Amino acid sequence: MIRIVRSTVIDAPTDQVWAVLRDFNGFDRWHPAVARSAIERGQGSDQLGCVRRLVLRDGSEVRERLLTLSNLEQTFSYCLLETPIPLFNYVAHVRLAPVTDGDRTFWEWRGSFSTRKGEEAEMTRLVGEDIFEAGFAAVRARLAATSGLEGRA
Amino acid sequence: MARVYVSSVINGRSDRVWARVRDFNGLPSWHPGIAESRIENSEPADKIGCVRDFRLRNGDRIREKLLGLSDFDLFCTYAILESPMGVENYVATLRLTPITDGDRTFAEWTAEFDCAPEREAELVASIGNGVFQGGFDALKRQFGGESR
Repeated sequence: MIRIVRSTVIDAPTDQVWAVLRDFNGFDRWHPAVARSAIERGQGSDQLGCVRRLVLRDGSEVRERLLTLSNLEQTFSYCLLETPIPLFNYVAHVRLAPVTDGDRTFWEWRGSFSTRKGEEAEMTRLVGEDIFEAGFAAVRARLAATSGLEGRA
Repeated sequence: MARVYVSSVINGRSDRVWARVRDFNGLPSWHPGIAESRIENSEPADKIGCVRDFRLRNGDRIREKLLGLSDFDLFCTYAILESPMGVENYVATLRLTPITDGDRTFAEWTAEFDCAPEREAELVASIGNGVFQGGFDALKRQFGGESR
C-alpha cells in the first residue's frame, strides 16, 4: 500500500476554500486535470454514496464514489471505482482546518492505493503532483483571482 | 463548556518544531510567559501521568498533568490540576501537522474547560491570545519569519 500526503496553506478563510471544494460534482470548475463531471443516477452531489463520472483532459474517464462529507469538520473522502490507469483500492481524504493566525486555511489531501509492480514511482508522482499539488495551485489561483476582483470593485 | 482554538504556521519542519515543544518540562525554553518549571517526584518528562509545576512571569503557579504524548502523531495533551485561573476540567492539546508545501508546520492548540459564565469570554481571550498565540508567536520568531 502506498500512502501519499500533501498539505499546504491557502491565503483565504476556510469557508471560501470549502465553498470551492465541497461540491463533489464541481471539480471540473477548478481542477486542471478534469474536463467534465456528472453525478450518476440524478443524485445530489452531497448524497453519500453518489458516484461521479469524470472525463479527464486526456479523454480518459474515471468513476469515483463519495464516502464521507462533513460541513462541520470540512472534510470529505472518496474512492475510485473505475479507472484506466493502475490505481487499485484508491481512497482519498481531504481535510481543511482554520489557521486562526491570519484567517487562512490549512488543506491536507491524503491518498492510499496499490498499483502494479514497477509503476509505483509513476503513480506516486501522478497522485502527489498531478492530482494533489496541481489542485492546490488551481484553488490558490482561483481564490487569488476572486479576491483581486473584489479588491477592484 | 468553554472552548479555545488557536492555530498558526511555523516556518520550520514539524520534527524540528516538535523537538522544541515535546518536552513537558521545557516551557521556559520556548514560551515567553513561563519563568520556570519542574517535574514532581523526579519523574521523566515523557512519563504519562507526570505533573509539571511551573511559574509564570507574573508569579502565578500552575500544576498540570501529562495525559497523552505522541512522537508519531506529534501531539501533547494535558490537564490543569491547580491554578489561580478559576477553571475546572481544563484539558488542552498542542498538535503539530506537517505542511509538505514548503516544509512548514501547522500548529494547533485547543482547550476545553468549565468556568463561571461571566468569566468565560475573558478566559477564552487570555488563554487563546495570551498563552496559545503568545507561544506560537515565540515559535515563529525562533524558527524565522514566515515566507509568504
